[in-house]
Amino acid sequence: MSNVSRRNFLRLGACAISGACAVNALPAIGRAAESPDITTLRTTLPYPRIKLAAIGRLKAGVEHLTAYPDPASPVVLLKLGRPAIEGIGPDQDIVAFSRRCSHMGGALVFRAETGTFHCPLHYAMFDAQKDGLMVIGQATDNLPRIELELDATGDIYAVGVKGLLYGRQANVLA
Amino acid sequence: MSAIYHGDDRVPIPPSDAQQFSTVCSYCIVGCGYKVYKWPLGKEGGALPHQNALQVDYTKQQPEQSGTWISPAMHNVITERNGRRFNVVVLPDKDCIVNKGNHSVRGGTHGDVLYASDRPTADRLTHPQLYRGGGQFPTTWDEAIELGARVIKASLDKWGPDTIAMKFFDHGGGGGGFENNWAVGKFFFTGIGTKMASIHNRPAYNSEVFASGDAGIAPLPSAYLDAELADTIMLIGANSYETQSIYFLEHILPNLGGATIDQKQRLIPGETHASGKLIVVDPRRTATVAVAEAHAGKENVLHLQINNGTDIALLNALSRLIYEQRWADQNFITQRTNNFPAFQQVFQSQSLDEAIRLTGISKAQMMTAAEWIAKPKADTARRRTLFLYEKGLIWGLKNYENVASAVDLALLTGNLGKPGTGCGRLGGHQEGYSRPAYPGQRPPVNVDEVAIKGGASKVFWVAGCNPVGGTLNAQSFRVALAQRTALVNQALGSTNGGSLDEKVSAIMNALDKGGLFLIVQDIYPIETAQYAHLVLPAAQWGEMNLTSINGERRLRLYQKFMDAPGIAEPDWKIMARMAHRLESAYRAEGKTEMAARFAGFAWNTDEEVFRAASAGVKGAQEDYGETTYAMLQALGTNGVQTPVQEIRNGVPMGTTRLYTDDKMFTFIPAPWPGFPRQIQTLIDDARYPFWVNNGRANHGWQTLYDDLRKPYVMGREPLPHVEIHPQDAGQLGITNGELVELFNPYGSVTAMAVIVDANAPGHVFMLFEHPKGWLNNLTTDYVDPATTIPYYKGTKAGIRRIGGLPGMNECLSFVPTNRA
Ligand code: SF4
Ligand code: FES
Repeated sequence: MSNVSRRNFLRLGACAISGACAVNALPAIGRAAESPDITTLRTTLPYPRIKLAAIGRLKAGVEHLTAYPDPASPVVLLKLGRPAIEGIGPDQDIVAFSRRCSHMGGALVFRAETGTFHCPLHYAMFDAQKDGLMVIGQATDNLPRIELELDATGDIYAVGVKGLLYGRQANVLA
Repeated sequence: MSAIYHGDDRVPIPPSDAQQFSTVCSYCIVGCGYKVYKWPLGKEGGALPHQNALQVDYTKQQPEQSGTWISPAMHNVITERNGRRFNVVVLPDKDCIVNKGNHSVRGGTHGDVLYASDRPTADRLTHPQLYRGGGQFPTTWDEAIELGARVIKASLDKWGPDTIAMKFFDHGGGGGGFENNWAVGKFFFTGIGTKMASIHNRPAYNSEVFASGDAGIAPLPSAYLDAELADTIMLIGANSYETQSIYFLEHILPNLGGATIDQKQRLIPGETHASGKLIVVDPRRTATVAVAEAHAGKENVLHLQINNGTDIALLNALSRLIYEQRWADQNFITQRTNNFPAFQQVFQSQSLDEAIRLTGISKAQMMTAAEWIAKPKADTARRRTLFLYEKGLIWGLKNYENVASAVDLALLTGNLGKPGTGCGRLGGHQEGYSRPAYPGQRPPVNVDEVAIKGGASKVFWVAGCNPVGGTLNAQSFRVALAQRTALVNQALGSTNGGSLDEKVSAIMNALDKGGLFLIVQDIYPIETAQYAHLVLPAAQWGEMNLTSINGERRLRLYQKFMDAPGIAEPDWKIMARMAHRLESAYRAEGKTEMAARFAGFAWNTDEEVFRAASAGVKGAQEDYGETTYAMLQALGTNGVQTPVQEIRNGVPMGTTRLYTDDKMFTFIPAPWPGFPRQIQTLIDDARYPFWVNNGRANHGWQTLYDDLRKPYVMGREPLPHVEIHPQDAGQLGITNGELVELFNPYGSVTAMAVIVDANAPGHVFMLFEHPKGWLNNLTTDYVDPATTIPYYKGTKAGIRRIGGLPGMNECLSFVPTNRA
């Protein structure tokens, strides 16, 4: 997949489970909500394609700690055990996220019972099932989600990141 | 399809030569410092430290809490009036002692709401609009002001000053600032002389803390430092994690976690110190309670989950317990207070059993609270307790007694003027009040009832607020507004193509028959503006220089860094335009006395208004004396805490905390008053079984005026949410994300259900202001007769399930927000 098509995929793919986001189910307010794309800058960064794990090694609720797109960016690969937005695999429940809080970079802790990430610094909470949506907290964006691909042999690859990783100007360091 | 995130994976870096400005968050009372970087589009700083304005090495991962990370929400591309385009980054300032680089979701998304024609802010008001041809259409400032001035003058001349009603912002930050507030006050009080004035979030012109003022305590007596030094902090009716977020995170929480013990020992030697304890009085288990428990341990947090409206009984009972334990500060009472016997009589007549029954708080919990507030420390030193209250108390059952009972408890325990103590508001907006005196009396007239619904006023000028949903009993307010403004619409419709004279005489005719001429001045086409005949476009934060103070009276300069859209103007300039027109009209008629009332608006700069406004703050907590913009600019985001004592070598010298002298205070006895008729009627009616509490949520600010243009915020709050207890939801057959209707005799509103056990069964909590569901349709018309402040926080309603909407459940998260 080319970078360009991947970026389009990312944008179109949100809320893949439901097919429609709540925001779209409601009438727009003025012209405000009609703006289809709120981003100001879209780039195509040279994301590496890195194998994170074989699907058979994942156990529901157990974190697989790794890094992407480079060793300085800790991420977690998870089989949630219930379908997730953008989840891959036969159960659509495999997702991966940055482990750095998108508020100010705190090291996140995952709780399997609720499927949420918790930040010990200022107590932000992110929902792994809901595209890393901030449940509550002071971050200004969701938890960056690692884009995954599953190949025919059952290997899971990281191929991109949606959202800016904390502490970076661009997800792929210069 | 839009989604609930920004999604960008890269932001531009400011180059070394980017312009830099200093400002403060436009939103909440905390007043976090921000730095603004601005540079031409098409240019970017390099990744190496010497190549960018932040002097950061962006080739490397930054450590946590670096204070130099730019999130996509902090960046935007703007277009100036001359057509030139710029990148703008609005970054929390790590050198500001208020926030130390921290920010909330509200302030951290300022970049999203800078005016940009290709972003959701594209609907900013850019030109004045006049109702004609059946709708609002653009016009020039000249025509808009001419028409407005003629209608105002004709009404004033014919019917007197009280025919002109107003509902205006009066705060700081994005909610006014000293400059705009002064011009507004000078226009309406010196110029018009109207008593039909009201403040943006209430039906009258009042202080929300008259009782504190009567006791001799300014609303913001302490410093944020005091929250780091206190032995106990008592939050009354405040959910600070969500509404004073960075004060809570950077100043309160560190104390609870023991991180300020060294500082306590250094600044307050000779007494024992430990981690601070927190008492939270709130009918709801909030995120504040959860975060505090997670950070400090449950044993250091006491949540008093009181029944709605019973604060007075609780606070008087605590005073009684403390007095009976001999933990009152007898020296303070003797030397610094008046009227103790009257207060003693009130708290001693508060039966403890009745307080327990009313509040739902056990005697044991009350005793723990009493100990944490006032039981002397091991070394016999008095505990230092900081009392902080906000809307839960202020907008509770009876504003005057509510606030008085908190103030009395602070006086009883001697908690004023010393490090680690205080009794004041947390605050909602920042403050920036400076106006000539309001010509009305206390209690002030209820403008909603008398001027608008009652018809006493014929012109209504609304600015910086959205009363069709923000005022109490909003449904009936909207009906009156619609009926009365429609008469003027019809009159204007009959003058198609007519001259201004013909329009004015048609309008006057309609006003004579009960019509209302509505002027709305705002930055957005808000819901109230839909009824307006004249819509005036205002500049916002960042588009003019302004000054304000935060919750510890920290005065700063908020620099202008971009143009207002179209021909929008700062509010003070709009007031000045109208004043000039009225002045010249009166002068032309030889009415020099009237002309003189509208004179003195000939300011050329924001700073000239700031200097003029210093006259309105003399002797008050915000007195900034001879301070100038240049002095404030030199002090950056740390500014100076008012009152300014003197200017020494060009530097204003401020005041950390008030009442370190021997000032006297007065106890204000405040007996439990019982429920007012309107509420009692609802209590007695089985059709309305649910108590409806309400308030703000972390991610939204005020009426959501900016947030509606932040897809990231609206994505998670597409409809106002209402928290319902699982037990109640089960009985009503309601599941997460479903639409429900809440109703009572005052109105009805729809909301999105969130099932959570934050409230007791039979109690629900709804978001206070959301244009897709105004909670205020349910609030009664009751106001405290002593202050004309509504009981916004308490009404009762029935609830019925409507059903599900596609997408709600799937895309939103229903993990409870009050777990940490
Ligand atoms: S805590 Fe208040 S002042 Fe600070 S960033 Fe948030 S909204 Fe702005
Ligand atoms: S860094 Fe995670 S909440 Fe602040």
